[in-house]
Amino acid sequence: MLNKHLTIRLMLILVALLSVTTAFSQDDLSGDFIVSHYFGGFGGEYIEDIIDSFVAENPGLNREASPVDHEQFKTSILVQLAGGNPPDAFSYWAGARIQFIVDGGRLQSIDDTWAANDMDSQFPQAVIDTAVTYDGAKYAVPLTLHWVGMFYNTALFEQVGAETPTTWDELVAVAESFKEAGIPAFALGSINRWPGQFWFDMILLRTAGNDYRSQLMNGEASYTDPEVARAFGLWNDLVDAGYFYPDANAYDWDEAANQVANGEAAMTLMGTWIGGHYAALDMTAGEDFDYFSFPTIDDDVPRASLGPIDTFVVAADAANADAAKAFLVHLTNPEIQLAFAEGAGNLAPSLLVDTSNYNDVVARIAAEIAADPVFAFNYDLATPPPVAEVGLNAFSEFMANPGDYEAMLARVQEDAAAEFAAMAE
Amino acid sequence: MASPQFPAIIQRERLMPRRHKWMTPASFLLLPMLVYLAFVIFPTLNSLVYSFTDWAGYGADFNFIGLKNFEKVFTDRLFGNAIKNTALWLALAMTVPTLCGLCLALALQGKRLINTLYKSLFYLPIALSPIIIGIIWIWVYSPQLGIINIALKAIGQGHLAKAWLASPDTALTAVFIAWAWQQTGLNMVIFLAGLTSVPMPLIEAARVDGANYIQTLRKVIIPMLRPATVVVLALTAINALKSFEVIWVMTKGGPFNRSDTLAVFMYSESFRKYKMGYGSSAAVILFLMTLLIIVFYFRQTAAAEELYD
Repeated sequence: MLNKHLTIRLMLILVALLSVTTAFSQDDLSGDFIVSHYFGGFGGEYIEDIIDSFVAENPGLNREASPVDHEQFKTSILVQLAGGNPPDAFSYWAGARIQFIVDGGRLQSIDDTWAANDMDSQFPQAVIDTAVTYDGAKYAVPLTLHWVGMFYNTALFEQVGAETPTTWDELVAVAESFKEAGIPAFALGSINRWPGQFWFDMILLRTAGNDYRSQLMNGEASYTDPEVARAFGLWNDLVDAGYFYPDANAYDWDEAANQVANGEAAMTLMGTWIGGHYAALDMTAGEDFDYFSFPTIDDDVPRASLGPIDTFVVAADAANADAAKAFLVHLTNPEIQLAFAEGAGNLAPSLLVDTSNYNDVVARIAAEIAADPVFAFNYDLATPPPVAEVGLNAFSEFMANPGDYEAMLARVQEDAAAEFAAMAE
Repeated sequence: MASPQFPAIIQRERLMPRRHKWMTPASFLLLPMLVYLAFVIFPTLNSLVYSFTDWAGYGADFNFIGLKNFEKVFTDRLFGNAIKNTALWLALAMTVPTLCGLCLALALQGKRLINTLYKSLFYLPIALSPIIIGIIWIWVYSPQLGIINIALKAIGQGHLAKAWLASPDTALTAVFIAWAWQQTGLNMVIFLAGLTSVPMPLIEAARVDGANYIQTLRKVIIPMLRPATVVVLALTAINALKSFEVIWVMTKGGPFNRSDTLAVFMYSESFRKYKMGYGSSAAVILFLMTLLIIVFYFRQTAAAEELYD
């Protein structure tokens, strides 16, 4: 496994060294270049290799390292933006979070770079519309795409003779069979709150559909609507039946992933980055662990994929905007996109990537995404950050006191409405 | 007889005209004053200004909205929750580490080697950063690997084991214990210093008059410890109000705001919800509360000095 990662990293360096950016000649770029990102673990190593190779291609650049922890990044980048000393380029989550800082005037458009490099032909239109374009202008280059699904321990499924479920009733039946075997069906590590959102997102998408969910995310629907209550009701059925590993709020997502890896729980609803985590544990995709798409609940509701898209953006106050834009172009190299996706267990957004290189699990996930008519961002990237805070706390509260969700939803609606009203002022 | 040789700077000052003598202390004070102005006074005033604005914290634009943030904050359910938690935290802080510090100081006063060893052990947490304290106690409270749950299971009380930091009923108390662990060492040292100033003849006179240890403690030692107690209470209250790092590392105010204090509320509103103006209004309220305690502290210190002069 180490050899595989080493090979990918060496390939990245080689590819990056051989690639030539089209919009900028190497002689154009000089001065200090600060790039900041939130990738940790293997993703962090790959992105560092990519940055190093870009700087190696442009010897006039002097790179200043700016490492930040993933959770800390969410606040530290805003402090830098507010202070007027941001990195030139930085990673950011597509969706409501980019929209939020675009509204604050802290990003610069990359329309010129986008057009000069014909990036319209390199990315799917859906990704361009949802992850790249804000208020009619291009702001971000997508680097990697994640997908949320149920990842499970294949040995445990074999042990209880369970088939991967495709409907809600089948999911409940599988969970029940694990319960009878004395194994919690679902691991959830929501100490940092966000993993809980996937349950709400998926159940709501499978019952009320993406159009209703979009209204809820925009403040046009209410958390006291029957659609939301039904989603929490179904989630509550699973919690109430004792299918979840106890004390979800005590663990982080990787601890929940380990509970599945160790056979302490059967499955976890998580993003494709879990593949990178399992690869680091020497688990083989398709053999030691596998996935299934979140089951259908209502047949008449169109399918939808869910997940975040990581992008890189250019700060409005970037001291070296030319280098930042050239770096964004560098990231569109299909070999780089593929190598980064392979390393982290994710998917490359670029259409130019040769998907035959994906492992079996990622290849099947790519097919699922292509088949689904909708790709939605997860909750905290779909609704504005102040509202997302309200919801994330609610998901955490729900896991501690699942029975009280109706009273909780009334409070959530009150707080969310207040946040939307404050933003509208 | 040769005149004494003063250092050059003092010799220069001796030669200065009287009206220029302020320049020496001023030159020494200039740099620290500039640092203090830049890193304390300016941010404090800046925060006060932002508390009257709707600034999000990252954009360039903001509007002055008068007292709107203050009107809103006093009707905010989460602010009420933070005030309630802060009051509880403060009440616990004024009693638990204060009493523990006093008991430890009384037990460990004296210069025997074993006393010195224990004093060092109890003072050790002060040398650790709050972040490290938080990480240590996360392990102590770990549901599976934590020493508390392991100990409970070992003595047959496994049913009492729980996820201490994830449970809404225990999260705040659990974090408080970690904070108090550090604060107790500081209080012990201040009380130990106070005990050295208690005159032995007074204690001996009380014993001669037939007072037992408890009576001596109540009637002689504790009253004589009043200046030290004022320092301990004031420092503990100020540290309690501004405690943030341990809470943030251990629970981030969770689960679902159950361990939110004013400092955590201020941070969450400013940096998680991107409402810097609103968060600044909470910061101003926190500052005023701390200021009240500082004023009380100085008044009590002055009163104590008058008493013992």
